[in-house]
Amino acid sequence: MGELFPRKQVMGFVFSLILTAAALTVYFLHLSFAQGMAVLVITAFVQALLQLVVFMHAGETEDKWIIYGKVYFMIGVALITVFGTLLIFLWDM
Amino acid sequence: MKIDHSLPLEYSTKQNGLNIFGFWVFLAAEIMLFATLFTSYFTLEHRVGSGPSGAEIFEITPVLIETLVLLTSSFTIGLGVHAMRIGNKKAMMTFFMVTLLLGLTFLGFEIFEFVHYVHIGAGLQVSAFTAILLTTLGTHGAHVTFGLFWGTAILLQLKKRGLTPETANKSFIFSLYWHFLDVVWIFIFSFIYLKGMM
Amino acid sequence: MEFFQRFAIPNPSLAIYASMVAIGLTVIAIIAGLTYFKKWGYLWREWLTTVDHKRIGIMYLISALIMLFRGGVDAIMMRAQLAVPDNKLLDAQHYNEIFTTHGVVMVMFMAMPFIFAFMNYVVPLQIGARDVAFPRLNALSFWLFFFGAMLFNLSFVIGGSPDAGWTSYFPLAGNDFSESVGTNYYMLAIQISGLGSLMTGINMITTIIKMRAPGMTLMKMPMFTWATLVTNLIMVTVFPVLTVALAMGTMDRLFGTHFFATTNGGMDMLWANLFWVWGHPEVYILILPAFGIYSEIISTFAGRNLYGYKSMVASMVVISALSCMVWAHHFFTMGQGALSNSFFSITTMMISVPTGVKIFNWLFTLWKGKIRFTVPMLYSIGFIPLFVIGGVTGVMLAMSAADYQYHNTMFLVAHFHNTIIPGVVFAMLAGLTFYWPKMFGFMLNERIGKWAFWFLSIGFCLAFFPMYITGLDGQARRMYTYSEATGFGPLNMVSFVGAGVMAIAFALIVYNVYYSVRYSPRNIGADPWDARSLEWATHTPVPEYNFAIEPQVASSQAFWDSKKKGHELFPGKLEKIHMPNNSGVPFIMSAIFFVWGFSMVFSLWIPAIISVIAIFACMAHRSFEKDHGHYISVKEIEETETKLRGAN
Repeated sequence: MGELFPRKQVMGFVFSLILTAAALTVYFLHLSFAQGMAVLVITAFVQALLQLVVFMHAGETEDKWIIYGKVYFMIGVALITVFGTLLIFLWDM
Repeated sequence: MKIDHSLPLEYSTKQNGLNIFGFWVFLAAEIMLFATLFTSYFTLEHRVGSGPSGAEIFEITPVLIETLVLLTSSFTIGLGVHAMRIGNKKAMMTFFMVTLLLGLTFLGFEIFEFVHYVHIGAGLQVSAFTAILLTTLGTHGAHVTFGLFWGTAILLQLKKRGLTPETANKSFIFSLYWHFLDVVWIFIFSFIYLKGMM
Repeated sequence: MEFFQRFAIPNPSLAIYASMVAIGLTVIAIIAGLTYFKKWGYLWREWLTTVDHKRIGIMYLISALIMLFRGGVDAIMMRAQLAVPDNKLLDAQHYNEIFTTHGVVMVMFMAMPFIFAFMNYVVPLQIGARDVAFPRLNALSFWLFFFGAMLFNLSFVIGGSPDAGWTSYFPLAGNDFSESVGTNYYMLAIQISGLGSLMTGINMITTIIKMRAPGMTLMKMPMFTWATLVTNLIMVTVFPVLTVALAMGTMDRLFGTHFFATTNGGMDMLWANLFWVWGHPEVYILILPAFGIYSEIISTFAGRNLYGYKSMVASMVVISALSCMVWAHHFFTMGQGALSNSFFSITTMMISVPTGVKIFNWLFTLWKGKIRFTVPMLYSIGFIPLFVIGGVTGVMLAMSAADYQYHNTMFLVAHFHNTIIPGVVFAMLAGLTFYWPKMFGFMLNERIGKWAFWFLSIGFCLAFFPMYITGLDGQARRMYTYSEATGFGPLNMVSFVGAGVMAIAFALIVYNVYYSVRYSPRNIGADPWDARSLEWATHTPVPEYNFAIEPQVASSQAFWDSKKKGHELFPGKLEKIHMPNNSGVPFIMSAIFFVWGFSMVFSLWIPAIISVIAIFACMAHRSFEKDHGHYISVKEIEETETKLRGAN
């Protein structure tokens, strides 16, 4: 019966709850802006990766490098867009 | 239609493999869609005009409930796909149904939240901040709503046609979509709500 | 009556009334013609419901050519207005409308479908596939594009054209300064066709990654396929940005939000930012497939393998990544600080490096080649020096400090036309001539084609080089007239003459099509150019299933090597072939999108809501539909093959 138990999914769910709790510290503790953002960035991206690998099975086919490559390329461009825009409008204007 | 039995049902025909790969490309595009919304949100976040700011209108309780509901739904659909892979159609359909019910719960809370915002003077037309806030949340909410209809359609097909390569393929793709919405919500939760209340 | 007043043109002129009559008569003529010749069924069965990538490619091509002429007429009118100082041919409002529609039509509804035409027609053939990955989605992409284009063009006769420039900057594009519904048309028409482009991107990436013939590894793909892959990667990346920006612009105009307004916290500059996050990669979406076509043509007519295959691929990948981090060079003067301007200056200049690599690769391919000066080759050879001039002036514009001088002048107009016309338009005409025999089974006349090339090149130089000078002297773009004292008059007259020469070139191309339809020989075989890649290995005309037997590929020049070294391209035996079924749903669904767009433009909420429901009904229909395609039996394939072999 061992292989019938969704061990991976249960572990993933527990871990995602822990990450959510960790992110909540920025609300309940009084962290500085930089500390708070560091916590949020880490918890959010780890959480995203967790969903990608555990639940979405991104690495299970022969196309895994193309799928990962595509997703990471998008995340890269997304970050460039976000930070480029913030650079233009907030930090350098 | 050639069926390759060495692969999971959802990958077993050539078209199935294409569908899943194509959907990954679509999700990559969705990353940019939400990234653009976040870009605009961060730019307009403090441009509140004469309206309220995020810190003034956000409340932790409904947001936390929404987050937990959505995380759980992501877990249940993961269980659904697991059940599908071991061929247990009944368990799979139950988990899918639970997922959709949780999605509906989430949507209910979100609608309640929107009504609340409008009620306290943070409607769509108040300021650039409220516009981008409601648009970002609304885009996610619209995706969830679409997912509810889509998921229902898949459930009906599962019931009528059983677990075939086509229905398995659709169910798997739907699970990708649902997990993705969960990821987007995590970013909304972290960088809109928690950052705003920090 | 009050209800219908909203559809009136706010600034009518004789030209618009004449167009209304002309459009009305054309529609009547088409309907009457189809009815008289009993072609409705043919049109519906063979074209409107088709999911065949080749037919969809041809429909893209026809749409692109029609739009080329619409945009071209706009261009001639602009040059005519500017030909002499203080001209009264057009007033400021009409001039605004014309440069706006010229830009949108040329970029969104001419260049995009033109490259889609080649992607659709050529890529599945080049990789040895039977169709694209999602044929039904492909049809939907086309029809969304088509109805988006129709919606945009409708603005000319119903409600008024957009007049805020093809960039549609806010606050000018906001309700306060653009009162007519023109900008609504802009937002919604581009939104609809943009959805189609995104779907094409997903479709093409999946097709190229998953459906290549056995043996064709990524590094053995023909260069046009590589270009298509990289282009579609950029397309999937940036079109969602446009979708969001347009949605926000639409909400500002229709629902009273304050994204890009100047009040209540709105930020007009955000529109410019988002527009160019999409807009700059968009120009690479146009130019990379053009580079791919040039690569195919140059290596075919130089009779040599493409020089530096790997560096060609690498440079395209680098260009695709860099193209997403240069957007702010379109608004160096907007007020951001030196740090961001320097960053975007440097990334912009960096793009010239991989582009330079490609130029040298083409030159080295030509080196010691046995060059055949056919029409496609003439365009490719003309492209290299002309495009380099455009590229070099681009580097000038990239220097943010100097850009304060060039910004918003005719210098910029000259620069981007100098990259787009020799880059994209030449490539499209070269590709048109090159692939014409594969598409239609006869060649275009070479002699008329060469005349057209020379008219186009010389006309281009005459039309755009003077703008560099007037631009540096301070002639601003988008100004409907100028005084005699500026001294811009003579050079603008030269531009007008150049535009006229280009118009002659396009007329010659049309004449060439007519002439070749009548007089060109039809027994040209499958490989009239002695070409190199798989699309020339199948019959002309291409059968529905493309290849009777799946090809086995051993190199990036698969067909050439099979001809010269005797590689067996088709080692297998005939098997029944699975093909997708035709469907009318993509056409119907896109038509509903058109109704939705039109209702939104005029804020007619009830039809808008009904059409949204109808769109979802179409999607539900697709979900529940049982469509497993059909099989072509071995016997049918044999019959077709024998017939096609006999024809050659």
